[in-house]
Amino acid sequence: MIVVATNLTYFLAWGFLDPRNNYVGRRPPLSEDQIVQLLQPRNLSDTVSLLERWWSWFSGIIFRWDWGVSPVGQSVNDQVAYRMWVSAELVLGATILATVLGIALGVYTASRQYKLADRIGQATSIITMNINIVVAALGIVLLAIGFNNMVGTTVFFVTGSASSDVTGFFPIIIDALQHLILPTVALVIIGYAGTHFLQRSLLLDNINADYVRTARAKGLTKAQAIRKHALRTSLIPVATQVAFTIPTVFMGAILTESIFGWNGMGRYFLETIAKNDIHGTVAIAAFGAVLTAIGALLADIAVVVLDPRVRVS
Amino acid sequence: MPRNSIQPAVGPETTAIRLPRKRMSKWELYSRRFRRNRPAVAGLVIFAVLVLFAVVAPLLARYDHIELDFLNLGEPPSGEHWLGTTSAGNDTFAQVAIGLQRSLMIAVAVSVGTTVISAVVGTAAAYFSGMFERLTLLLIHFLMVVPTFLLLAMFSNDSGGDWRTISLIMILIGWFFPARVIWTMALSLREREYVHAARYMGVPGMKIVLRHMLPNIGSLLVINFTLGVVAAVMIETGLSFLGFGVKIPDVSLGSLIGSGANTITSAPWLFYFPAAALTLLTVSMALVADGLRDAFDPTSAAGGRA
Repeated sequence: MIVVATNLTYFLAWGFLDPRNNYVGRRPPLSEDQIVQLLQPRNLSDTVSLLERWWSWFSGIIFRWDWGVSPVGQSVNDQVAYRMWVSAELVLGATILATVLGIALGVYTASRQYKLADRIGQATSIITMNINIVVAALGIVLLAIGFNNMVGTTVFFVTGSASSDVTGFFPIIIDALQHLILPTVALVIIGYAGTHFLQRSLLLDNINADYVRTARAKGLTKAQAIRKHALRTSLIPVATQVAFTIPTVFMGAILTESIFGWNGMGRYFLETIAKNDIHGTVAIAAFGAVLTAIGALLADIAVVVLDPRVRVS
Repeated sequence: MPRNSIQPAVGPETTAIRLPRKRMSKWELYSRRFRRNRPAVAGLVIFAVLVLFAVVAPLLARYDHIELDFLNLGEPPSGEHWLGTTSAGNDTFAQVAIGLQRSLMIAVAVSVGTTVISAVVGTAAAYFSGMFERLTLLLIHFLMVVPTFLLLAMFSNDSGGDWRTISLIMILIGWFFPARVIWTMALSLREREYVHAARYMGVPGMKIVLRHMLPNIGSLLVINFTLGVVAAVMIETGLSFLGFGVKIPDVSLGSLIGSGANTITSAPWLFYFPAAALTLLTVSMALVADGLRDAFDPTSAAGGRA
């Protein structure tokens, strides 16, 4: 599936992107020969037939794990290898925080169903879930700028993933945190509500089950019974859902990354399309497909870990 | 209230007779259950106001959304320009109204399209089973692996910003996920007696799908439609914000926020008003969807008795 989808994207990308457009309007104008000379060694020239281009691209991946080069000659492998970690820094932290927050809120509100805390939690979550990520991120930028002005120094950086002039172990960590905190908050605000609703409704299904009553009857407090018995059962679908959202979050960070100026995969995606970088676009598509597969695998692992009825041979 | 409206106890020991009671129709029940959910009603009202604003405001506005006022460049809100102007002299009030209109049109068109296609394909796949079902599922699973946002960006970047083309592409890319959900729902429907009965009476297959199976997942479809509006607004905003969607001179809420983001400290009103319209739109639709779900769900216990 991944291989087929990637190859299909390759042909689609050729249908919509033309590297030749990068040289339109260049001063002094490049001649036809010059353009072909620039593009041909990068396997991006349309003077070679599409099938031939495809084969040299595909064989490059199979035999040398070489995903090709961009129209200006940067290696796609290097770009993805670097940007992947920039994105991961942002996305993994945000996903973990959003999941923990969502589960905690879900448990808290489910054990107080229809009380004031539950109502307030529900209302807040339905609003935050439906705020657009763009609005949330820009709102946070506005707040952070206001806060910086109030304090008088730059506490939160609103662009970039790291400053270049920082040295030393602890300064680098503090600097990274200063950059990381705003986009993470934006992603968490948008992302936690889905987990909250799912966890709440699943826990409500389980909270009155017989085995929870048994646990209460043998002397556990209500909190213990929920945490050790009801929560464990209702965590399984939540874990599955979170695992499956990892690729979506990775790609969904496109907007966050472009607002906060992070050079991650999302930014790369925009650049490749704007610069007619066919190999880069296809590499991103393949990256997304691989993440989907990893998500499915993680979901299976989570079920095995959480559900004692599932045995692996 | 009529005098004898309270039903006395009926049983073998009493002589009381059962008072005739007016049966509540299905829609009356649904609307009553919906109205009792106050946030949902508020959502509906907000949504109605937004639609009204999108339709009426362009008629009231003193300026056209493309018209440039060179005497007021980048002015904050004033009596002349109610919501301020952009640095090029566009009236923000007119732009927000037109942008809201455009976003609503795209969202409704996309949501109608995806709901119809996913409902027909999903139920048809479940009903006809066999080869057709397998092929449809193969196609759906394949489309799930394909990076759809990437395709969306490439297609709509190529389309030159026409909102009709963008809606069409969003429909083509958005139908398969709901279709998969509807297929699972319809699997149990195809084993029902009335479907068998219709089949043995000789009703043609497509007619069974449309007349007998679809109405039975109607409530799911209505909820899907409202949630689809939210999703479509979100995606369209994202695309337009990045510059892949609606293009100048046409505006949508996403492109307005995108241009407002560049001047967020110097001219924040360019960001505030479209962002507020967008948030109200998505939150109100989500509240309506939530209320509909409670109204249609026979087991729902949320918010008291019907």
